[in-house]
Amino acid sequence: MVQYNFKKITVVPNGKDFVDIILSRTQRQTPTVVHKGYAISRIRQFYMRKVKYTQTNFHEKLSTIIDEFPRLDDIHPFYGDLLHVLYNKDHYKLALGQINTARNLIGKIAKDYVKLLKYADSLYRCKTLKVAALGRMCTVTKRIGPSLAYLEQIRQHMARLPSIDPNTRTILICGYPNVGKSSFINKITRADVDVQPYAFTTKSLFVGHTDYKYLRYQVIDTPGILDRPFEDRNIIEMCSITALAHLRAAILFFLDISGSCGYSIAQQAALFHSIKSLFMNKPLIVVCNKTDLLPLDKVSEEDMKLVMEMKAEATKTVIGQGGESTNDEGVLLAMSTLNEEGVIAVKNAACERLLDQRVEQKMKSKKINDCLNRFHVATPKPRDQKERPPCIPQAVLEAKAKEAAEKEKRKLERDNENDNGGAGVYSASLKKHYILANDEWKEDIMPEILDGHNVYDFVDPDILQRLEELEREEGLRQEQGEEDDLEMDDELTPEQKEALAAIRKKKSLLIKEHRIKKSTAESRPIVPRKFNKDRNFTSVRMGRQLSSLGLDPSLAINRARSKSRGRKRERSCDGNDGAMDVDGEHSNKKMRLRSTSRSRSVSRPPHEVVPGEGYKDSDQKKKAIKLARDSSKKRNHDAKRGESDRTIPNLKPKHLFSGKRGIGKTDRR
Amino acid sequence: MNAGLRIGLISDYHLNMATRLQFENSCEIGVFSKLTNAYCLVAIGGSENFYSVFESELAGVIPVVKTSIGGTRIIGRLCAGNKNGLLLPHTTTDQELQHLRNSLPDQVVVQRVDERLSALGNCIACNDHVALTHTDLDRETEELIADVLGVEVFRQTIAGNILVGSYCTFSNRGGLVHPHTSIEDLDELSTLLQVPLVAGTVNRGSEVVAAGLTVNDWTAFCGSDTTATELSVIESVFKLRESQPSSIVDEMRKSLIDTYV
Repeated sequence: MVQYNFKKITVVPNGKDFVDIILSRTQRQTPTVVHKGYAISRIRQFYMRKVKYTQTNFHEKLSTIIDEFPRLDDIHPFYGDLLHVLYNKDHYKLALGQINTARNLIGKIAKDYVKLLKYADSLYRCKTLKVAALGRMCTVTKRIGPSLAYLEQIRQHMARLPSIDPNTRTILICGYPNVGKSSFINKITRADVDVQPYAFTTKSLFVGHTDYKYLRYQVIDTPGILDRPFEDRNIIEMCSITALAHLRAAILFFLDISGSCGYSIAQQAALFHSIKSLFMNKPLIVVCNKTDLLPLDKVSEEDMKLVMEMKAEATKTVIGQGGESTNDEGVLLAMSTLNEEGVIAVKNAACERLLDQRVEQKMKSKKINDCLNRFHVATPKPRDQKERPPCIPQAVLEAKAKEAAEKEKRKLERDNENDNGGAGVYSASLKKHYILANDEWKEDIMPEILDGHNVYDFVDPDILQRLEELEREEGLRQEQGEEDDLEMDDELTPEQKEALAAIRKKKSLLIKEHRIKKSTAESRPIVPRKFNKDRNFTSVRMGRQLSSLGLDPSLAINRARSKSRGRKRERSCDGNDGAMDVDGEHSNKKMRLRSTSRSRSVSRPPHEVVPGEGYKDSDQKKKAIKLARDSSKKRNHDAKRGESDRTIPNLKPKHLFSGKRGIGKTDRR
Repeated sequence: MNAGLRIGLISDYHLNMATRLQFENSCEIGVFSKLTNAYCLVAIGGSENFYSVFESELAGVIPVVKTSIGGTRIIGRLCAGNKNGLLLPHTTTDQELQHLRNSLPDQVVVQRVDERLSALGNCIACNDHVALTHTDLDRETEELIADVLGVEVFRQTIAGNILVGSYCTFSNRGGLVHPHTSIEDLDELSTLLQVPLVAGTVNRGSEVVAAGLTVNDWTAFCGSDTTATELSVIESVFKLRESQPSSIVDEMRKSLIDTYV
């Protein structure tokens, strides 16, 4: 729901202040030092920044004005019309329009001068251009000075408008001047409206609030209306008319039957008939006030006729709502605000009829279906025979009975607190109200830890008893368990036991094997998975392909096999004798020699002892080689890094090459 | 000072059986207190104002105990209980447990529960006869609830919310549930609990009913934001001050419609 709060509009400074604010801001918020010797681009930038900054500030300030002032077309028609009546819509729109134009003009000026600044070739020229730009912006602002002043006035006035919510429950009081409208609102609400014995004491709308049946009603006191043509009405009267026209409220038409206000009943009736179109579809009550001066039954015949006519009209509006056409009570009420006779009856009747109307409308809306559950009291259906009585201590019932007689004042903790230094000083003992067998125990200090044990674990009074119970239970269970074990062993024959042991051993082996398999290195495929996604690089396929090319695949297949894991190394015994096997028959001698020399040194077998290595004989060396190989076998198998692996140290450690560089050296941080 | 004064004024106003109060400028008083027919737990606050409101209403009838649970002040959300017992979460310290055992009468069983969902107050709603619980509560906890609190236990949700303890409050005489509970659910719950139920709000439209309201069979406390309409609904449904739940559909109907629609 839209909140109509015009109190939060920011102050609109007048033209001169506006310029001062903006310029001092530019001065404070942008750099101020520039030298001739700077590069021209830097000088240009310096001044462009000033121009742009000033422009953004102007734009911001003017935009807040435009945004914060309500748009008359967008707000509730009541406020729209009220603002129109008070400030003249055209004038208001014009003022805001001028602000908008000024905003655009300033934008254009800034754009032009920034463009010019790009071509300035010296500090002096730049500065002149900046001065010209700022000067023109200020001139534009000064020109909208009157609009700003007008808007500031309006702002101040709007902040003082009563905060009327056009959509809530509203009771509207209207009538001729001096008929007792303000006295009535003073009686039923806490609004302190000025009451004076002359006409037009109330010059604007006033709001008060009153309660009826758990709900809050807003009561609006309007200035008096005279019976004259619409065009002749002044601003004060027009406020009332606006409220009457736009607020969906219960309307109390006040009638001074004594005539002490200076207007006869006939005049008041004429007003009633001239504005009765404003009462359509609203609960209307004709209130005859000042019965202390002249009771209703003492009113002269013809006046009574006029009153009855009004009553008939008022009843018609009720019929117009489509409900309770026969019920015309609460349409014409008499009261006296002086001796408060009938005041509450008038208030209640107004609230009740307004509530009826609102409820009736709301019952027709779609939203009611979403809320139906909130008006429903679910009553329980009995589901069993069980009685579930409430539990109210006897003391409560007694206290209730006693309460009627006299309420004894008990000393509360708050009183103690106030007596003993107030909140933050007084600290009440938590142990004060302990319910213990002996009151002297209350303040006893309980250790939390004693002999390294949590005391609380031992405070249970029947803990020993329960422990015993548990032990007994456990003992029972153990006995039973042993018996079970015995029975089991008895049943098994030696062969069965053997079989059982075998099964268990097999099982544990399987589990171990599975665990080994699960480690990543073991389950790694021979060809890296990324090259062999479809698992189609098989030796069979390779053989097929090679034979289709007209080659003998057997050697290649054997070589591939020899390289794959899980296969014992075979002694090569083919004719090539240590040379690398080559596909195809024609291997030339030169090539063979090279490959031989490259593959391994023929001059010295690895197990030959070289003086200085520290081996006794070649057997020992063989053993050492074997040991070394075995020790690295596991590591290589797991593809872990060994000490002899080539490593590239971090050549550019990040911590030495990143971050700010201060006075320190690059390599010492 | 001002808040204290306000609370003082409200609590001295004895015509209302439902009392409006605040805990240190928070209206969620159900979070900071636990009221049952046999005892009342109150959080330890900076001043005695909150405690004294309960004290003035209840002292002499049932013990009003200042306590913390697991070192926190949100005791109303952490524990669940009725006149038979009190269930505390596993976060409760030994000292707090001892303090509560010392402070509560012997017929109230105080029991710490090893339940993963430690905000028992949010997961369990109960009166002296029936309890609604969170659907994911352990089976052991459910048994403990039945044993310690002496209640029938139903796993339920309220208007699709599993935190039944937060979204409903009920005594042995009536109950208030989440405002979006459908009429069918209301009837079903009412039959389960065997008390009249109304869907409503507290604290000017707050849906977390249990946070804004604590109630037992003869008195109620609600947050100071609670409107007159809400308060009168509460008084009617909990049968405080001689009003009956039926008045919600009779006298108050129009006011309610105008407020909510």
